[in-house]
Amino acid sequence: MMSNEELFAFVKKNRLAVACGVLSVGLALAAYYRGDGLAENQAVLDQKAVEGRRLALNLKNAAQLDEQLAAVSAAAAEIKPRLVRVDELANNLQYFYKLEAETGTRLSQLQQTANAASVARWTKTNPKAAFVPIGFSLSVEGEYPALLDFLRRLENGTHYARAVAASVNILKPDRSGPYVLQLNVELLGTP
Amino acid sequence: MLSLRRKKTDAAVSQEPPWHPNFRNFERLPDTKVVRTAFFINVGAIALTVMVALWFAFQEYQLRDLRLQIDAWQQEIDRNKPPSTRAVAQFRKFQEEASRIQEINTFVTARPAVSDLLVQLGQTLPANIAIDGLELRDTGLRLIASVRGAPELASGHASTYLAQLRANARLAEWFEQIELQSINRNQQTGRLVVEYLLKTKKEKGAKK
Repeated sequence: MMSNEELFAFVKKNRLAVACGVLSVGLALAAYYRGDGLAENQAVLDQKAVEGRRLALNLKNAAQLDEQLAAVSAAAAEIKPRLVRVDELANNLQYFYKLEAETGTRLSQLQQTANAASVARWTKTNPKAAFVPIGFSLSVEGEYPALLDFLRRLENGTHYARAVAASVNILKPDRSGPYVLQLNVELLGTP
Repeated sequence: MLSLRRKKTDAAVSQEPPWHPNFRNFERLPDTKVVRTAFFINVGAIALTVMVALWFAFQEYQLRDLRLQIDAWQQEIDRNKPPSTRAVAQFRKFQEEASRIQEINTFVTARPAVSDLLVQLGQTLPANIAIDGLELRDTGLRLIASVRGAPELASGHASTYLAQLRANARLAEWFEQIELQSINRNQQTGRLVVEYLLKTKKEKGAKK
């Protein structure tokens, strides 16, 4: 075991080497403890880079979003007046009577087949749907061009419509007209 | 003649006491080597210190570089975050509106337009065939027609019309299988009455 005097003498004799040794140990310890920060900072950098790239991509993809949103919003604004409501029976049937008057056909039968209960059931089974189809059943009589006009006005008219079932038959065997069109049709509406 | 003086062996030499006392103190004598040992120790220590210092400096450089990159990304994030948040909100609204429009489009296009079907059938109807009636259902379209002419010729017209229906590209958009279901003679008119069945495509038939 080295005594204090011997140690002091050793240090005095090898001043430079001891100083270098002490400095090396100090630097090694500092590097060891600060080495953890390297991994942590790398992890932070990776996270920031991912977030930064995501935000940059969002902005790049949103370059024309204002115009697109305006166009879609304008289109969506036109939808509302074209929808029917299940509880507005008189207005709904009036739509078909107007078509009858405009096309010169005759509605021999017309009824709304959907009601509040059926709409509620449909909404329950289709919770994500924004709209609900409102069913109607009707029979229209008229000459072939008039019936075709009725169909065209119905399918491309104010309300969104689609025929679920249809049948066209001629009333007289000699084909002298008139024709009868039976339709199960759905108009798009709101619950 | 043998020499009287005999050679001393090595053992004898080592056992021999020195011929005079050795007063040298080796610890206090200077290092007489060409390059002193202390030089090598110092050089080694300095080299080690330099290497450790370089390692430490390189690590510090890496840390500083990482911090600079983090700061740069953070600045970009801070700059882009508000417009990005606004864009995300706008996109959600866009998706919502677009899904409503898509729902309407699906509703309208899920079934064939009856008026278009009538026009298509009317435009492609042969002169010797007349449609008596048609019935559109989920499963398909039933088409009843009368064929003019003698029965032996009329059945040929019915087959020709079947081939024509099958070749119709517009009808093929909605119907996948077109069959002649029946041929009967109308006793009153004497004409053949034929019934065609156009089966709705499976992906189109499902109610949406």
